[in-house]
Amino acid sequence: MNNLYLGVDIGSVSINIVAIDEENELVFKLYTRNSGNPIELVKEGLAKLREEIELENYKISGVGVTGSGRQLIAYVLGADTVKNEITAHARASTYYHPEAGTIFEIGGQDSKLIIVEDGIAVDFAMNTVCAAGTGSFLDHQAERLGVPIEEFGGLALEADRDVRIAGRCTVFAESDMISKQQYGFTKPEIINGLSEALVRNYMNNLVRNRVLEGEYIFQGGVAANIGIKAAFEEEIGAEVIVPEHHDVMGAIGIAMLAKRDVKRSGQESSFRGFDLTEQEFETTSFECEDCANNCEVIKVIADSKVIAVTGDRCGKWTASLIGDSAANANVEGSSEKEEKTAAKSSKKQDEDLNKNSEELEANLYKVDLEKEKQVMKELEELEKSDENKKEDNSLV
Amino acid sequence: MRLSFPYMGPTIVYAKLFELLGHDVVMPPKPDKEIIDLGVKYSPEFACFPFKVITGIYLKLMDKNLDALVTSGGHGPCRAGYYGEVHKKILQDLGHEVEIIVIDSPHDDYKYFYEVIKRLKGDSSWLQVGRVIKIVYELTKALDEIEKKIEILRAYNDKGTINKLWMQAQEDFYQIKNTAEIKEIKNKYLNKLIKFEDSIPVEAERYKIGIIGEIYVVMEESINNQIEEKVNRFGFEVERSQYLTNWIRENAFPFLDRDLEKIEKKGEEFIEIGIGGHAQGNIGHAINFKEEGFDGIIHLKPFGCLPELVSQSVMDDLSEKYEIPVLTISIDEQTADANVLTRVEAFLDMIREKNYREVM
Repeated sequence: MNNLYLGVDIGSVSINIVAIDEENELVFKLYTRNSGNPIELVKEGLAKLREEIELENYKISGVGVTGSGRQLIAYVLGADTVKNEITAHARASTYYHPEAGTIFEIGGQDSKLIIVEDGIAVDFAMNTVCAAGTGSFLDHQAERLGVPIEEFGGLALEADRDVRIAGRCTVFAESDMISKQQYGFTKPEIINGLSEALVRNYMNNLVRNRVLEGEYIFQGGVAANIGIKAAFEEEIGAEVIVPEHHDVMGAIGIAMLAKRDVKRSGQESSFRGFDLTEQEFETTSFECEDCANNCEVIKVIADSKVIAVTGDRCGKWTASLIGDSAANANVEGSSEKEEKTAAKSSKKQDEDLNKNSEELEANLYKVDLEKEKQVMKELEELEKSDENKKEDNSLV
Repeated sequence: MRLSFPYMGPTIVYAKLFELLGHDVVMPPKPDKEIIDLGVKYSPEFACFPFKVITGIYLKLMDKNLDALVTSGGHGPCRAGYYGEVHKKILQDLGHEVEIIVIDSPHDDYKYFYEVIKRLKGDSSWLQVGRVIKIVYELTKALDEIEKKIEILRAYNDKGTINKLWMQAQEDFYQIKNTAEIKEIKNKYLNKLIKFEDSIPVEAERYKIGIIGEIYVVMEESINNQIEEKVNRFGFEVERSQYLTNWIRENAFPFLDRDLEKIEKKGEEFIEIGIGGHAQGNIGHAINFKEEGFDGIIHLKPFGCLPELVSQSVMDDLSEKYEIPVLTISIDEQTADANVLTRVEAFLDMIREKNYREVM
């Protein structure tokens, strides 16, 4: 029986599922477009995994989920590790390329820059404004030009002339593109211009004044685009490496992190099993109106059984899930006792506290006594002068 | 006077202040989606985010028959100085007649400050005012002291339990009448928190994050995506550059020792002159956090805030020179919770990973 670790990356454009073994070898890899129903897609993905590998030989020993949709899917799967995609990408990248210095990661809706030193991420940046400089931007333009996104990159390399396209924003890029077409620029040239605009944008928004060092790794869905890769190489004047599994690096990274976490804690994976592919999932949310915080409370339901409650800040609803009233009663009973004993010693504690906090106050919030006296005196004078004025008025 | 004020941080403090001065206080609503939408709709598009939130709060208060809204001013080239006037104009254009009383720092204009206080004091005598201010200052100190504890303990304990205690404490403090009661309630909650203190690990295993930035987004959790709770959730302690005590010390009390200035002066290394807001001070606080052994800085910048845009641009140099990681987050009504969470989590992961390497 070999251990298998699942990594799931719920991105805005794609959903990726991988399984790695103890030696971090890729046993299963799936890249699908996110058509807007992540739970169904993950269920389908798992079903595929079950078909493709002989499960009798393997045991799912850890599950990690990353990507912008990670929270919900983590509940659905019973994940051991839920982490952001930056950490996951850095992990996978530094595993395959230990000499990596700079990681460019361009996904569907965000682009990231990760600076690595000695295999550890030391700095990162993520796009802050909008779709400019991401896969969605290219997707949109490809559609506009009637070129399948898969051929987009190759076409850019056929360009003869340079054309500068305003790439700050998708909409402005579009109007600029139309106007440049009138000048007689060809499709490949326009596409090349767009690729350069994307890289320029990336450099201006993410890299800013950072000094980049090699090796340069380029991953994420957009790394499949050789036009963008070429544009990056031209911009930094060095070779850019695209890893073999560039499109699922986030999923590989999170699977590795799940493996680490499970090993460290020494506990069994909380994976909910392959039966979950048969279950129906549902999420509901409501606004709790108990206090001014108005928390948005989210419930995750599997086959009409609540499996997770989240979003409340005081813990009221999350605690309701535990539902084990006996356990609750126990906790309350003991805390009452504690409070009683606490009450006895509280007087002494109070004194100590007073002393402590007085010292703290004396250090933290110094009051200039001389000045305070002076101000109080001024205040008294002010009051007197006010009274005098009133008398003056009454005379008038 | 029947009055209200913008919602920022522990509002009970301002409420108590005006209540003790004999005013009829209307509690402002806590900013939520509806208020922010309202504010965005009726504010100039290019105004900074706190301005828009406050517009929303004011508009929401308009059916409460207020005589006046009391707010603080700003100094230097920051737009906060115009808030009062512009808000008044917006409210007028929408057909609401209400006075806006702006409390500017006494250090800028001593006389004007007294004029304003004279209006606000109503029938109370000056000595009474002195006493009220003292109570309110004590209250603020007590609140800040407990909150600083909360910001540490929440990193190591169940967040719900600690949050609940903090909410209860704020409610209890609202009932106080004198300084003795403040002390009593403060001790009550400090005692309750004591049993959680065992959870704090040894110094070498503690991670601390300093939060700096524009005062409104730093102080008001309902618009900064509860950044402190997010940081706490990953087992990191937090401390802010801004607490209400600081604000009162800078803006309301002429007799307090201004030792904060020493911290803020450190900012001159990167921003030579005062450019308004808390830009220079924030840089000073960032350096101070590093000196106090903090592991990272989160810099909150409202979208459209000029001073913080300038301080963001010097963060790279600061981060390099003082060897402290800095994460800048821009905040406005478009900020999505998931995006903030991803960035904060990655940032904290990075800090932790720096300190150990695990065997793969």
